[in-house]
Amino acid sequence: MEQRDVGTFPLAPAWRAKLAAAGFQTAQEVLEVGPCQLSKEIGISKEDALEILKVIKQERHSDGAKPSEEPETFRKCTALELLEKEQTQGFIITFCSALDDILGGGVQLTKITEICGVPGVGKTQLCMQLVVDVQIPECFGGLAGEAIFIDTEGSFMVDRVVDIAEACIHHCRLIAEMHPEEDHQIALETFSLENILSHIYYFRCHDYMELLAQIYLLPDFLSGHSKVQLIVIDGIAFPFRHDFEDLSLRTRLLNGLAQQLICIANDHTLAVVLTNQMTTRFEQSRSSLVPALGESWGHAATIRLILHWNNKQRLAVLYKSPSQKESTVPFCITSHGFRDVQLSHSNLIPAENEANPRKRPRIEQVEEQ
Amino acid sequence: MDWDKFEMNPRVIAAIKKANITSIKDIFHLSGSDLQRLTKLSRTDVQYLLRTISSALRKNTVLTALQLFQNKAHNTSRGQKLSLGCPVLDGLLRGGIPLMGITEIAGESSAGKTQLGLQLCLSVQYPYKYGGLESGAVYICTEDVFPNKRLQQLIEQLPKLRSDVPSEVMQKIKFGNGIFVEHAADLDTFHDCITKRLSLLLSRGMVRLVIIDSIAALFRCEFSAMDSLLKAKYLQGFGAKLHRLSCRFQTPIICINQVTDAVDEREDVVWDAQSCPARTVIPALGITWSNQLLMRLMVCRTVHQAQIAGETSYSRSELRMLRIIFAPHLPQHLCYYTVNLEGVKGIRKISHNYEEM
Repeated sequence: MEQRDVGTFPLAPAWRAKLAAAGFQTAQEVLEVGPCQLSKEIGISKEDALEILKVIKQERHSDGAKPSEEPETFRKCTALELLEKEQTQGFIITFCSALDDILGGGVQLTKITEICGVPGVGKTQLCMQLVVDVQIPECFGGLAGEAIFIDTEGSFMVDRVVDIAEACIHHCRLIAEMHPEEDHQIALETFSLENILSHIYYFRCHDYMELLAQIYLLPDFLSGHSKVQLIVIDGIAFPFRHDFEDLSLRTRLLNGLAQQLICIANDHTLAVVLTNQMTTRFEQSRSSLVPALGESWGHAATIRLILHWNNKQRLAVLYKSPSQKESTVPFCITSHGFRDVQLSHSNLIPAENEANPRKRPRIEQVEEQ
Repeated sequence: MDWDKFEMNPRVIAAIKKANITSIKDIFHLSGSDLQRLTKLSRTDVQYLLRTISSALRKNTVLTALQLFQNKAHNTSRGQKLSLGCPVLDGLLRGGIPLMGITEIAGESSAGKTQLGLQLCLSVQYPYKYGGLESGAVYICTEDVFPNKRLQQLIEQLPKLRSDVPSEVMQKIKFGNGIFVEHAADLDTFHDCITKRLSLLLSRGMVRLVIIDSIAALFRCEFSAMDSLLKAKYLQGFGAKLHRLSCRFQTPIICINQVTDAVDEREDVVWDAQSCPARTVIPALGITWSNQLLMRLMVCRTVHQAQIAGETSYSRSELRMLRIIFAPHLPQHLCYYTVNLEGVKGIRKISHNYEEM
């Protein structure tokens, strides 16, 4: 459709003649020049040039197989329909079955999940695990999606993602060996390291302005990359925690940001994962660690997960969730990524773990190390 | 702000000018409905405006992780790490110090923090091939004077430490000339130093490493317990500035930090009770500072010295320990090392990991 002749678009004859005279033949050529250049080249006003581009873009969309998006129409549905929709959506698993259980299956699509924790407890590790896990092929119980990683702190380490991705591929290969079915083999062929890495879209934002701009641009990016099912922002707090004299402005910007993210999550059926720092709050004589960015930000995320240390054990607390009860589970981070804690006696592993054959090979794998 | 250069409908541009909006920042600070009210534009026009200025602001397009990975493999300057000048320690850190971000080295006095800092100042000057960045270093002293005598000693001993580097390469580098020493004893001088002089040196390409020895000393005397809010603000400001410099110039920032005795059992610090018996210490400056860091290393002296002493030639120097407290790409491993005449050297054989799973 890029090759479609300019003459076939519903444009005013005068414009069509001018376009033809300037040597524009296909829609692609017109779209490649910006409105400013177009107005100069064919000698029309900038307004008219914008109008031409708008018409061509619209036509191009309706040409495509995808029907043009209709976000303006209000969707009405019953709770039952919503429930059914949610049940068919699937989850992004974390590779820590205990954490998946308390989350109700994994990280949910169409919801915002916030991960809070002190530095080094594993927030970024969980994010990197999720951008790999969202890509697990459907026949292995994954979503076969793609992921966007918005990095504000510079902590995205591609070496580490490679480790996690390789462990994940290895894991799927073991499953395929145990259940030699045809579709597993086919899925494995495309589930390669290169494929995984090329489906993680990385954006680096250095300050809050860049982050806000990036969020404004996401809908456009997503309409071109419809397989994206996860957006990670690591972390939300860093750009908003300095150079802000006016805290009410900060609250307003953050609320606006959260609102946009909810819209994006709903419109494109994807999960949004944010990380947040912890800060010290003083109450009279004692101090405690609480998630940063204040009280009102606490409402932004639908699901809030707090990671913390207890002696040498990492723990995850489900702090806020509309559907699951508050609970705490241990987890650990191995060279393969985010994992369950391996108890020394394998018979102590909870029963639901046994029932899930996907988890078994990994356990043996880790113990060999 | 010259709004005309944006590719927007002149009607929208006129509306912005009429509403007296002078910068992109102003537009982002206004909510969508405020913008509609001020500019009297329709909702679609405002959305269009936001999208246009956003794409103008975010010129750099998306990278995939694969591109990042391949850049790393093929390009010498991007994605490389700064070597510590010792294969064992580099092995522990998977190649060395990452180029972008703030790395902290915390430890008690005389644990070997400054020694590591000095060694990094020298190793940054080697060619890329030998783990360096072919550039100098800035050493910002906040408490003691710069240990110049020790530096000269290290330079003299370099051929012994780096036997992998051919002597003709080594002779070409004027190690002493590549190190710029700054003294900043108080917050204002320090602020001045990192905002003005540092960016000047970095933008001229004269340095690719910044060492701050130590960050805690700046805050030790000036703030009482009551000023914690102001202190937090300073720390966040410094953190953000250093971060920005580090990203812009791909320059690692090393902050040396002191430690304080842990008053109570803090949850955010991992302790290995066997290695530092009797006392538990945590890095100074609290969680506000920790939040600014990419990775944190801790060094301490150990009691293991006695067990090793009789065995080999390590007997003369004390055994110390380097631990990774957190880093996005590294497990919490540790490694032993010694500091002797030539510099800091890791010891391979007794390194083990203690978060065994």
